[in-house]
Amino acid sequence: MAQLYVVQSADFLFIQNQTQMTPGNLSSHLSKLEDGGYVEVTKEFLDRKPHTALALTKKGRVAFKEYRKKVKQFVEKLPE
Amino acid sequence: MSYYQDGLMDIFAGLYILGFGLGIFMQILWDFSFGVIMPAILITTALPIWVAAKRKITMPRIGFVNFGTRGANKLTVVFIGTMVAGLFAFFAFIFATSQSGLRQWLDLIVQNGMLIVALGSLAICALFGYTMGLRRLYAYGLLAGISLVIGHFAGIFFAYIIFALGTIVMVTGIVLLINFVRKFPLKGDKAIVK
Repeated sequence: MAQLYVVQSADFLFIQNQTQMTPGNLSSHLSKLEDGGYVEVTKEFLDRKPHTALALTKKGRVAFKEYRKKVKQFVEKLPE
Repeated sequence: MSYYQDGLMDIFAGLYILGFGLGIFMQILWDFSFGVIMPAILITTALPIWVAAKRKITMPRIGFVNFGTRGANKLTVVFIGTMVAGLFAFFAFIFATSQSGLRQWLDLIVQNGMLIVALGSLAICALFGYTMGLRRLYAYGLLAGISLVIGHFAGIFFAYIIFALGTIVMVTGIVLLINFVRKFPLKGDKAIVK
């Protein structure tokens, strides 16, 4: 989600390269995020090859922003 | 991961610089302004090839990402700013040289042309290197600056330096492209998202 948060959209291959996950593992994560309404998955054909475009939904963006805020607060509260 | 690590930009920039050098040679041989026409020919022919190469080589290997408009806007502002500054300098040059009594300015510019190009190369490479986050552009700027300054004082013909610079940039691009193809072999879209 952090990878998709900083871009408008990206394809499956790009996210796979960035996260260094296996295709199966990444697909499993994406399926869950899609079911939760956080990620929008668009399957299409480009030059007769399957292409999977991914983007954060509005709900996903808001949820990640909130998560980021909470993690930041948590880290700041940690003693030195 | 950067979209510029494929070396395509370097290959085409190298070809462009080589074409510019070739244009100067052709101008001397046939007394025709090839020096001006060659870059224009190269831009119109190379641009579609560059776009096709990005689609066929880069995207199938590292995927596609749409960064939105923020980064693109910054680069567009720098690009347009450079163009406007270049045009301003050109018209200022025309104005200065067309005024009576300012002939010495023209002589000064012609005599120190390589030093001016060296400064321009350094400035442009630094500006684009900073905007695009590409450190090797600083190296290209330094290389161009140093070689042109040396060329000015050693009396080396301008086109030879341009040829050398073009070759270095293009070879760097080819090496980067080979490394890129090795590092990112072709993968199919294995997405199995339901």
